[in-house]
Amino acid sequence: MQFVHEAPVSFRSSALRPGPLGLVAQAVREVWSRRRLIQYLVRADVKKKGSDTLLGNLWWVIDPLLQMVVYVVLFSIIFRRSQPDFPLFLFAAILPWKWFGSSIGDAVTSVVSQERLIKQIQFPKIVLPVASVAAGVVNFAFGQIVLLGLLLLMPGHLSIHVLWIPVIAAVQFLFTLALALLTSAVNVFYRDVGNLTRHVLLLWFYLSPALWSFERFADGQNNDVTRLGVAILRLNPFAILLDAYRTAIYGRVVTGADGSDTFTPGQVPDLLALGILALISLALVAGATLLFKRLEPAFAKVL
Amino acid sequence: MPTAVAAPALTPDDSDAARFARTTFPIDVRELGVQYSLRFTRKTTFRTSFARLLRPGGQRAFWALRNVSFRVRHGEALGVIGPNGAGKSTLLQAVAGIIQPSEGVVEVTGHISAMLHLQAGFDQDLSGRDNIMLAGALMGIDHRVMEEREGSIIDFADIGMHIDQPLKTFSMGMRARLGFAIATAVDPDILLLDEVVSTGDEVFRAKSKVRVHQIVSAAKAVVLVTHDMNWITEFCTRAILLERGGIVAEGDPATIVTMHVERSEQRRREKEAETARIMAMAPPKPSEA
Repeated sequence: MQFVHEAPVSFRSSALRPGPLGLVAQAVREVWSRRRLIQYLVRADVKKKGSDTLLGNLWWVIDPLLQMVVYVVLFSIIFRRSQPDFPLFLFAAILPWKWFGSSIGDAVTSVVSQERLIKQIQFPKIVLPVASVAAGVVNFAFGQIVLLGLLLLMPGHLSIHVLWIPVIAAVQFLFTLALALLTSAVNVFYRDVGNLTRHVLLLWFYLSPALWSFERFADGQNNDVTRLGVAILRLNPFAILLDAYRTAIYGRVVTGADGSDTFTPGQVPDLLALGILALISLALVAGATLLFKRLEPAFAKVL
Repeated sequence: MPTAVAAPALTPDDSDAARFARTTFPIDVRELGVQYSLRFTRKTTFRTSFARLLRPGGQRAFWALRNVSFRVRHGEALGVIGPNGAGKSTLLQAVAGIIQPSEGVVEVTGHISAMLHLQAGFDQDLSGRDNIMLAGALMGIDHRVMEEREGSIIDFADIGMHIDQPLKTFSMGMRARLGFAIATAVDPDILLLDEVVSTGDEVFRAKSKVRVHQIVSAAKAVVLVTHDMNWITEFCTRAILLERGGIVAEGDPATIVTMHVERSEQRRREKEAETARIMAMAPPKPSEA
């Protein structure tokens, strides 16, 4: 039986490096030929996260659920701001955000935490952040169970448009991958990135329409400052993503001129915005891959 | 960058094994230089980096290896010896493709298997069995091959029932044995060993000696870094003495070992003299004053 060797058998290494296109093509080949390695790394990650806790991988379901409960309590009881079926309204946005946040959090340290491995064996380092992001997908997929439960508990929202979720998730995956590649590589050289990331993520979360929505932004104060603020906030990729999820899952609540709420269930998300974001994310992935490949040769020396 | 001379086995003549057999020198290192930047070392932060920017001057880089050239033939076992910090481990990392040369060329033909750290072990939280599969995937070996060899690896490492426990519960000896078993079980054309053969108990050392002998006699190439001079004289067909990032001498293992021992002895004497000189300068104890 002839076995295919997944790593290049022979090599010639020198100080010369291939050009930008060559590097990106190399990265794509590496990820493809080492897909089984990525699969093992994801499986290892999943196993580890589940093995230390009593409830194991059930935490993937409990965690976003508890977070949702916290916000529901905070907003509907303390701030007295609510929406119809508030838990679903929040969960539709918190679930994808948690996927993003935990993927980036894991990816930032994905290279530095494998210091021993990197010094011990020659393998394409790009599989490490890719595996972190891929492990996040598993996490997100489990969350869909809870989402389905909430949709069944709160009738009137579920529509055929939930089928847009995988499409929106694909765009989010690209965007997450770009940031994961970038932060994991830079963190090798500047460990500050890891510390900074947590705070940036927190601020980003509050600036994204997860706990609020553009429809009710600033309670209808319609002045220039508010409009400018909204325009800036709309530039946030997660404004597009979370808005799209919520439109597809929860639907829309529009406050009419007379102050009454009209509610429509799940709808088609803003496909133009999603398409543009997909293209930008793709370009970002290419740029981040290039940067990663440029920095990769130095990893073993710096770590 | 390992500009991957990807070798798809299209015709029998172009198979990996044939390519390995054709080359005269599976390892060919020419004028290798490895430079470490001092600007980025372990755990740099923005602050330290800015501080260095503001304070120009001072050493920015150092050469861990410079002008190193050597070749390894089929069936040769090359021993690399030298004092601590001579660049032995860096040399092995460069041959393994882990570190990229700053200058010069490293050309390697054949499957490499490297065991460069004392307690190999890839993931502390995974079981020994999972680690075997993970190691195989990292080395790029087909999972079917690994599944087939799993049994013999566990047998050779003598881990027994523990194999399904997480690696963090393994003793140092067990980890070293497992690492050696994996590195040598994958049928490497080229085997790189760094200070691993001196670990483990008597029985395992004997077993691993036999295993290395088998690889060498099967016309494969071995590069061995160790402080155990017995291994060098017993095993290696040739040796190089590395000092301060350069090759000082190359030749017959016994000669090189003698040379290394003499030079170490001389360095030790020089250090003693230096220590004595410093001690003499120290002020006398107050009680004696």
